[in-house]
Amino acid sequence: MNRLVKTLILFLLGAFLFVRVVDGTVLYYINQRFVLLTWLAAGGFVLVAASYYLVSGRHLHAHDHDHGELTWVGLLIVALPLLLGWLVPPRPLGAAAIGNREINLGSMGSLASVAPPQAGETMGLVAGEKNILDWLNDFQRSSNPADFAGEEAHLIGFVYRDGRFADNTFMVARFTVSCCVADAAPVGLIVQWPDAASLPADQWVDVTGHLAVGTFAGQQIPILVADSITLTEPPAQPYLYL
Amino acid sequence: MDMEQTEPTPLEPQTAVSSPATRQPLWLLAALVALTAVIVGLARFTTGPLADRFQTFTTIFLGIFIEAVPFLLAGSVVSGLIEIFIDRDLLARLVPRRAGAAALAGALMGFAFPVCECGVVPVTRRLYHKGLPLSVGVAFLLAAPVVNPIVILSTYAAFGWGPVLIGRVVFSVLIAFIAGLLFNLAAPEEALLPAAQDHHDSDHHHAAGETGKLAEERGGKEKGYGRFWQALAVGGDDFMDMVRYLIVGSLLAAAMQTLVPQSTLLALGSGPIISVVILMVLAFVLSICSTVDAFLALSFVNSFTTGSILSFLVFGPMVDIKSSLMFLGVFRKRTVLYLILLPMALSLLMGVVINSL
Repeated sequence: MNRLVKTLILFLLGAFLFVRVVDGTVLYYINQRFVLLTWLAAGGFVLVAASYYLVSGRHLHAHDHDHGELTWVGLLIVALPLLLGWLVPPRPLGAAAIGNREINLGSMGSLASVAPPQAGETMGLVAGEKNILDWLNDFQRSSNPADFAGEEAHLIGFVYRDGRFADNTFMVARFTVSCCVADAAPVGLIVQWPDAASLPADQWVDVTGHLAVGTFAGQQIPILVADSITLTEPPAQPYLYL
Repeated sequence: MDMEQTEPTPLEPQTAVSSPATRQPLWLLAALVALTAVIVGLARFTTGPLADRFQTFTTIFLGIFIEAVPFLLAGSVVSGLIEIFIDRDLLARLVPRRAGAAALAGALMGFAFPVCECGVVPVTRRLYHKGLPLSVGVAFLLAAPVVNPIVILSTYAAFGWGPVLIGRVVFSVLIAFIAGLLFNLAAPEEALLPAAQDHHDSDHHHAAGETGKLAEERGGKEKGYGRFWQALAVGGDDFMDMVRYLIVGSLLAAAMQTLVPQSTLLALGSGPIISVVILMVLAFVLSICSTVDAFLALSFVNSFTTGSILSFLVFGPMVDIKSSLMFLGVFRKRTVLYLILLPMALSLLMGVVINSL
């Protein structure tokens, strides 16, 4: 019984990881450079589960008492990731998670230095186009928000608003993730758009426009004056990677 | 989550217990159904801030779990390989006898076993089981998550060759060395849980898992692939023993992240002492794997003191929510307390001293 349950749990953990990798939702949780590890772990779980079968099949009778016994409380705990994983529909972090975190709006020179973005992260955008993080990095290297006035920008992100936003502004936001969502940090640009108030939080949008100098929370920063906004589905890869 | 109930049961030797299957199946079934109902209710039939929080919590919890579980599995498999393939006499010969040399060896052992803070726990437990001295294991446990090729490389990638990289490695070794030495001098009795103890000292075999004991009984008679499968099965037992601590730790870390705004922590100030305290608290709460925490620390560089960043990089891998919970699977509670407080005090001291230079 004990052995059977352990085999089953190990196998289910492997299956869980496997399904998440195959349907791509593993990218809702971790940086894509660790996906290989998830693959290996999925295979590892299946191997370990198989080893139980291979070893115990021959020697199960050899004991008079069991150690490493899985208690019921232990079983409940171990079942938690499986339950949460399968019962809660996978969704990337959204506007609700921003409330708990410091937003990086790229105010001049305040941004921490970040490693250069890796190739291939601009999925969903035309190759070579700058994403939110690229813009923020550019802003940080400059000291004058007016340096960017008039430049064209095309950004994809989700809508975030809070009490500080006027009716005609919202933030087009993304999370940066270096390891897993535990270290997610929101980044965004303030977008000016007449109907901003009608956009629901967490809605993914495709914004085209040009940069201008604007004011947010008393600070002069570059903002994006939108020419067009299209509602879109969340990209397959919802986070930006540092 | 009631740790009182979950912590000792699987690891204390249980003699003559009836199989739990015959004891509480209804209770389990009820709890499972209740849990499922709560999760489904929160995930599918609730809207508003509560549902949002629950969704965020779930995503962060699964994020930490999915990120960490391959490392724990790898550590468990290494543990299984040690059990089957490493001879205890060999280990006894390799470990230095003098206190200082032993603690130093423990602190540098990470080069031989490249594991992070999740993987190091089952490996340490298995090495204890093979007769490794307590102090050496303590130094290994604390240092290995930093002093190993993978983490050094990722720190190099983030910070380049400089004071942060050198400081991280040197101070991790130093603090682990001091902790190992103190454990050696204090020589506490009964620091380990019975399951982790050197079973050769007792007439009753307390292997960490039934499979471990099995391997023991068979005296490695299996050959070739058989021994490999045995190692995997021992690793599986280890994994099942440790994963509950990882899960509870991930739950706590995710709950903290969902409930406590990061900005309140970060806004508290950048004084030479308070900044160290803040980043140490953050390291403890975030529970990020040591292989990647350097990239996160990078984002603090402009707003925090050098000492606090080093404390984050040295203390975080030694102790955080999930690793301190996993310690409970190896050590007794009092020892776990020392294992948290010692590195905490030493890292704080280090950070403050660096800031005042």
